Amino acid sequence: MNTPTWALSAAFTFSLAAFGCSKSAPPVAKPTPLTTLEIKKVSADLSKPDPAASYWKDAPEGLVTLLAQPMIAPRPETTTTDSVIVQAVHDGTRAAFRLRWKDTEKSEAGRLGEFSDGLALEFPLRDGPPPPVMMGAKDMPVHLFHWRAQYQRDKEQGKPSIKDLYPNQSIDMYPHEYKEAPVGSPSAAEKFSPGVAEGNPQSYAKTGVDEIVAEGFSTSSVQEGHGSLAQGAWANGEWTLVIVRPLVIDGGSTLKPGGTSNIAFAVWQGGKGEVGSRKCLTMQWTPVKVQ
Amino acid sequence: MSKVKNWHLKREVEYPYDGSRPSRQWAIIFDLNKCIACQTCTLACKTTWTSGKGQEYMFWNNVETKPWGGFPLGWDMRVLEKLGRQEWNQQGEYLGKTLIEAAPAHERVLHFAPTDEDWMYPNVGEDDCAGAKMEGGGHMATMPHDKWFFYLPRTCAHCTYPACLAACPRKAIYKRPEDGIVLIDQTRCKGYGECVRACPYKKSMYNPHTRTSEKCVGCYPAVEEGVQPQCVVNCIGKIRVMGFVSPPEKARDDNPVDFLIHKLGLALPYYPQLGLEPNIYYIPPIHADREYLRQMFGPKVDAAIERYKKLPDDAVAQGLLCLIGSTDRIMHRFEVNKGMAVGFDDKGAELVRVPVVEPVIERAAYDDKLGAIRNNTP
Ligand code: SF4
Ligand code: SF4
Ligand code: SF4
Repeated sequence: MNTPTWALSAAFTFSLAAFGCSKSAPPVAKPTPLTTLEIKKVSADLSKPDPAASYWKDAPEGLVTLLAQPMIAPRPETTTTDSVIVQAVHDGTRAAFRLRWKDTEKSEAGRLGEFSDGLALEFPLRDGPPPPVMMGAKDMPVHLFHWRAQYQRDKEQGKPSIKDLYPNQSIDMYPHEYKEAPVGSPSAAEKFSPGVAEGNPQSYAKTGVDEIVAEGFSTSSVQEGHGSLAQGAWANGEWTLVIVRPLVIDGGSTLKPGGTSNIAFAVWQGGKGEVGSRKCLTMQWTPVKVQ
Repeated sequence: MSKVKNWHLKREVEYPYDGSRPSRQWAIIFDLNKCIACQTCTLACKTTWTSGKGQEYMFWNNVETKPWGGFPLGWDMRVLEKLGRQEWNQQGEYLGKTLIEAAPAHERVLHFAPTDEDWMYPNVGEDDCAGAKMEGGGHMATMPHDKWFFYLPRTCAHCTYPACLAACPRKAIYKRPEDGIVLIDQTRCKGYGECVRACPYKKSMYNPHTRTSEKCVGCYPAVEEGVQPQCVVNCIGKIRVMGFVSPPEKARDDNPVDFLIHKLGLALPYYPQLGLEPNIYYIPPIHADREYLRQMFGPKVDAAIERYKKLPDDAVAQGLLCLIGSTDRIMHRFEVNKGMAVGFDDKGAELVRVPVVEPVIERAAYDDKLGAIRNNTP
C-alpha cells in the first residue's frame, strides 16, 4: 500500500486554513506539538476519571497530529480528526490521560448502520525496542485501551435493549421467552443469541473501556481488564475524555515512575462511519516520561 | 491481491486471498418459474434461526418481487449503479470489472452501505408489475410478457470468493473447506459491519442486541447430517434443491446440481458480474423481460430459457425436476430410466424413487358406493 504523502500536506494546509480563518473565535493559545508526554505526579485521587478535575489546569498539554489510517483498507478517504490535545498525570499507582478532540456530532451507535465515537491509547506491551506503531507485530505486542461512547453509555445506562434502540418496535413474542413453550428458557434464548452464547465480550455490557492486545493487523483481541476506567463528555463539537489505567500491569504494558515508554493514539468518528480500521491515528510513537 | 479462477466469468479475478476451493461446494438451485412467494421458506428459516432479540428484522432467506422489490431497499440497483455499465463478450467472457477490482484504494470492495431504514421494508414492491402502460386488452399474449414480474427467493450464496470475508479486517469470517459454507466466527466478530457493507447481496446482517454480525449458516447442522436446509425442505412450490456444485472441469452428469448447471446450462448464478462466484443458481423465469434477465443472469440467459422450453422432450431433465422436493435428504446422484427417477445419497443408497409422469386415473364424478360427489381437492 502507498502511504499518501499528499494526505500529510492536505491535512496540514487544512489546519492552517481553519486556524487562520476563525476570526470570530476568541484567540486561544494553540497547544504546541507534543514531543514527549510527561506524566506528572499529582497528589490527587485518580481512582475516578474526571475530565473537569482541577489538576488538569496545571498539567502541560501538547498536540498530536493524526492522519487517516493509511496502511490497510478499508480506511477513511480523508483525515476526519487531525489532532488530539493530550495531558497526563499519575498518583503513584494510576495514570490518567485527558484527551480533547473535535467531533461535530456525538455518536453512540446502537441501531443498524450506526457507529460509535471512540479513542484508543496504545502502548508497547513489553520493554525494549518499540513495536511497529500500527497494531504491533508478531512477538512485538501492543496494549490498547479502547474507549467508545457506546461503551460509556452501557456503563451509565446499561446495555440498551431493543426497545431502547427502537421505541416503536413491536413483536408478537420471542419464542424462547414464551414461558409455557417447552423451548422457553433463558438458556434456549441465549443459545439463539450467538454472540452471547459464545461469550463474545461485544455482546455484554461494557464498563467504558476495553483492554486489547494485538500482534499485528487483524489480531486484536479483548483481554480481561485491569481496572482501567474512562469518562468522556461531549460539548460544543468537542470530546473531552479521561482514561485511567494502572501504572503497572502484570503481563501488560507498564509505566514505572521515573521510567520511560511510548504512546500512540487513534480516534474514530462514528457519525462519519468510522469503525475498526476506518480511523485516524498518530503515525509514530510519542515518547513518554513518567515523573 | 491474488488472481483466482472464476468460472462464472470465464476469467481470473482479483481477490485479497489465494484461491482454494472447498472439497465440496454447498449450492441451492431455484426454479423461478415455479416460486409463488408463499414465504414458507422465509418463515422456515426465521423460526429455525432468527427468532431472538436483535434478529427481529432479519430474513436470512427472503423472497422479493422483481423488479421493484428488494430487501434491503434497492440493494441490487444501488450496487449496480455503483459499478456502472460493464460488458460481456460474445463468448460469455466478462470484460468488465468485479466489485473487488472496481474498489477505490481505500476500500476492499465497491459497495453501498445500507441504512437502518433500508432494512425496514422486507416485502416492499410485492406483486408490483413492470412493463408498458396498463391499458385494455390482454397482457400475457406475448412471450416474454409485456407486463411482468417474478419472485426471487434468496439466501446467502456461500460465495466461492465472498466479499464479506474479503472485507472483514478482523478475519472473523471463514469458508469451511469441507462444504464451502461461509460463517461468521461469533467469538471474533466485533460488529464493525464491514461484511454488511461489502456483501453486494446484503446477506450479512448486524444484530444490535449481540452487537455482532450474523448471516445464513447454510443450515450446516442439517447439511452435516446429509439433510437439505430448512428453506429448501419446507418449500411449498418444490422449486428448490440443495446439493454440491463442482467447477466445470469436475462436473458429473449424474450429480443433480451439476446436471442442471453444467450439463443443461439451465440454472444460472445471479449477478455473476459482481465477481464473487455466488453459489445460488436460478432457472430463469421465461415470461420476464429479457433485458432485465440479462442484467441479472448474464448472457447465458437466452440459451437457458430456450432449453427450458424444450424440457418436455427431455425425459432425464423431467425426471430430475420431479425428484426436486421429493426428499429431505441431499441427493448426490440421480438416474432416470424406465419412466422412474431415482435419487441416491453419497454412499449410493437409494433415497427416493418417483415416476417421471404421474399416471392419470379417470374416475366418475359421482361415487355410487359412498353416495358422494368426487372432487379434486387433495
Ligand atoms: S417456499 Fe418455495 S415457493 Fe414458497 S416462496 Fe419460498 S421458494 Fe417460493
Ligand atoms: S452472499 Fe454475501 S454474505 Fe453470503 S458469502 Fe457471498 S458475500 Fe458473503
Ligand atoms: S440455508 Fe438455512 S440458514 Fe440459510 S437461509 Fe436457508 S434456512 Fe436460513
